[in-house]
Amino acid sequence: MNAVVLTPAMVGQVIISGILAGALYAMVALGLALIFGVMRVINVAHGPLLMLGAYGTYFLWQATGVNPYYTLPVTMAALFLVGVLLQRTLVFRVVDAPELSSLLLTFGISIALVNLAQLAFTSDLRAVEFLTASFRVGPFALSKSRLVAFLVAAVITAGAFLFLQRSRLGKAIRATSQSREVALVCGIDVPRIHLLTFGLASALAAAGGTLIAVIVAIQPDMGQVWTFKSFLVIVLGGAGNYPGALVGGLLLGLVEQLASLFLTTQLSEAVAYVLLVLVLLVRPTGLLGGRQT
Amino acid sequence: MRAPRPVALAGLAVGLAALAAYPLVGTGYGVRAMLQLFMWVALAGSWNLISGLTGYVSFGHVAFFGIGAYATAILITRAAWPWLAAALAGGGVAMLLAVVIGYPCLRLKGPYFAIAMLGLNEVLRVLVSYFEGLTGGGLGLSLPTLHATLPIYYVMGATAAAVTLLTYLVITSRFGLRLMTIREDEVAAEAMGIDTFRHKLYALLLSAVGPGVVGGLAARDQGYIEPISVFPLATTITMIVMVLFGGKGTVWGPVLGAAVLFVFQEAVWARFIYLHQLLFGGIIVAVVLLMPRGVLGLLQVKYRLPRTI
Repeated sequence: MNAVVLTPAMVGQVIISGILAGALYAMVALGLALIFGVMRVINVAHGPLLMLGAYGTYFLWQATGVNPYYTLPVTMAALFLVGVLLQRTLVFRVVDAPELSSLLLTFGISIALVNLAQLAFTSDLRAVEFLTASFRVGPFALSKSRLVAFLVAAVITAGAFLFLQRSRLGKAIRATSQSREVALVCGIDVPRIHLLTFGLASALAAAGGTLIAVIVAIQPDMGQVWTFKSFLVIVLGGAGNYPGALVGGLLLGLVEQLASLFLTTQLSEAVAYVLLVLVLLVRPTGLLGGRQT
Repeated sequence: MRAPRPVALAGLAVGLAALAAYPLVGTGYGVRAMLQLFMWVALAGSWNLISGLTGYVSFGHVAFFGIGAYATAILITRAAWPWLAAALAGGGVAMLLAVVIGYPCLRLKGPYFAIAMLGLNEVLRVLVSYFEGLTGGGLGLSLPTLHATLPIYYVMGATAAAVTLLTYLVITSRFGLRLMTIREDEVAAEAMGIDTFRHKLYALLLSAVGPGVVGGLAARDQGYIEPISVFPLATTITMIVMVLFGGKGTVWGPVLGAAVLFVFQEAVWARFIYLHQLLFGGIIVAVVLLMPRGVLGLLQVKYRLPRTI
C-alpha cells in the first residue's frame, strides 16, 4: 500500500461516490429488511433475485433497443410476481419453522436460481452499453449511470418509506412486523401481508438489478455478494429498524469508497466483511439500535 | 446411554477392514474415487457437527477447507514440512479461523453467523490472491511432485473415521445434549444455565478441524492449488446437501448422504455440471419441506432406531 496524499478534492469525490453507491445499497437492503422484519426470515435468495432483474433489463434492452431505464417497471413488476409466487409456493411453509429451515430453504432457492441462470444465459459477462460517460463538475467526476442509479434509488426508497408510513397496506405491514398475533387480532390478513412483503422486497431487488446492469457487467453469480452486502447494511442500521437501512446503506457506500483510496479495488471488497465483524463485536444491535433477534 | 451392540461393532470392524484392504484389489480409479468419498464423509460430518447439532447454518464451510489447503501448501513449499504434519497444522489453522469468525458472530442468535459465513470464503479468496508473496496469488501454488496416493488414502480414511467417531462421541455426551438443546430452544438452554456462546464456539472449533486437515490432504494429493479451486461455493453446497439428505444431527446420516450423493454425482451428474447444481438446490428445498429429518431421520422414527445411530 502506498502512502496516499489526501487532497480535499479526493475526499469530496469519495463522499460523492459513497453517497451515490449508498442509496443503491439502502434500496436493495430495504427489501431484505422488510422480509426479515415481517417474517423473521433472512432471504438468502435476495441477491439472486436482483440478478434476475439485471438479466431482465439486459434482454429487454437487447431485444428492443429501448432505454434500459424504461425497463424498470417491467422488471419490478415481473420480480414482484416471482416473489409472490415463491412466497405462495415455498417460503410460507417455513415462516414459523426454526431459522435453520428458512435459511436452508432460501439458500436452496438461491442455488437453483443461479444455476438456472447459468443454464439459460451462460456464465458470460454481459454489459448494457448505455450512459457510459461521466460529467465533470469542478474537480469531481460523476459517472452518469451511477448518478441516475442514485436518483432512481432515492425516489424508489422514498416511495417505499412513504408507502410504509402512510398507506393502509404499509401500516399493515409495519403492524405485522411489530407483532403478528396482534395484527391478526386486529383483522389484518397476515398471510396476504406476507405475500405482499415478499413481492415488494423482490421488486426492490429487481430495481437494484436494473440499475446495476447499466453500471457494471452482469453474470449469474453476481447476486451472492448483494445478499451479503444487504445483510451487512441491515446489521449496520439495526435489524428490524427500517430507517436503519438508509443509514447503513450510506455508511457502507462511504466506507467502501474510502477504503478504495487506500487499498486495491480487490482488497476493498474485503472491507465490507471486516466492517461486519467489527460492528458485531462492538455494537451487535446496530448503530441505530434495533430489535434483538 | 446404551452401549453399542457387539453385532454392530463387529460389522463396523469388518467394514473398516474391507476399506483398509481395498487398495490391494481396487483399480487406480477405484482407489481415487474412495479417497474422494472419504473426503466428502469428513466434510459432511464436520458440517453436521455445527449445523446439524446446534442449528447454526454455516454457508461457507469450504473456507476451513481452503485455509487448511493453503496452510498445508505453504508449510510444504516454504518450510519443507512433511505433508502429514503440514496437513495436521492445516487443521489447527482452520480452528484459529473458527475462533476469529465465531467470536463475534456466535454471540448473537439468529442468522448473523450464517451470513457471515456466506461472505467468509469470498474474503479469504480475495486475501489469498492479495498476499502473493506467500500464496502465489492468482497463479496458485505448485507442490513438489510426490506419489503418495496410498498413504493419503489411509490418512483421508482415518480422518473420515475420526470425524464420524467424534460425532458419535459428541452426540452421546452431555456436551452433545446441550448443543441439541441450543438447537431446539436457545432461550430455554440459557435459562437452564448452559453457556450457549461457549458451547457454540466449541462446536464450531470441532467442525473446523476436519475440513482443515482434509483440505491439506487434498492439496497434497492434487499437487496444485489456486484461490478458485479451494474456495468454491459448490463444495459447501455439496456438504449441506449430503447432510440434509442423509439426516442432520445423526452419526451416520452424513456418511449415508455422502455415499449416495457421491455415487450419483460420479455416475450421472458430473456430465451436466449446472444441471447437477440446480438439482442440488432442488434437493435442499425438497428435503427442508418434505423430510426435514433426512433419510436416516425417517428410518429412526419408523423403526424406532436409537438416537445415537
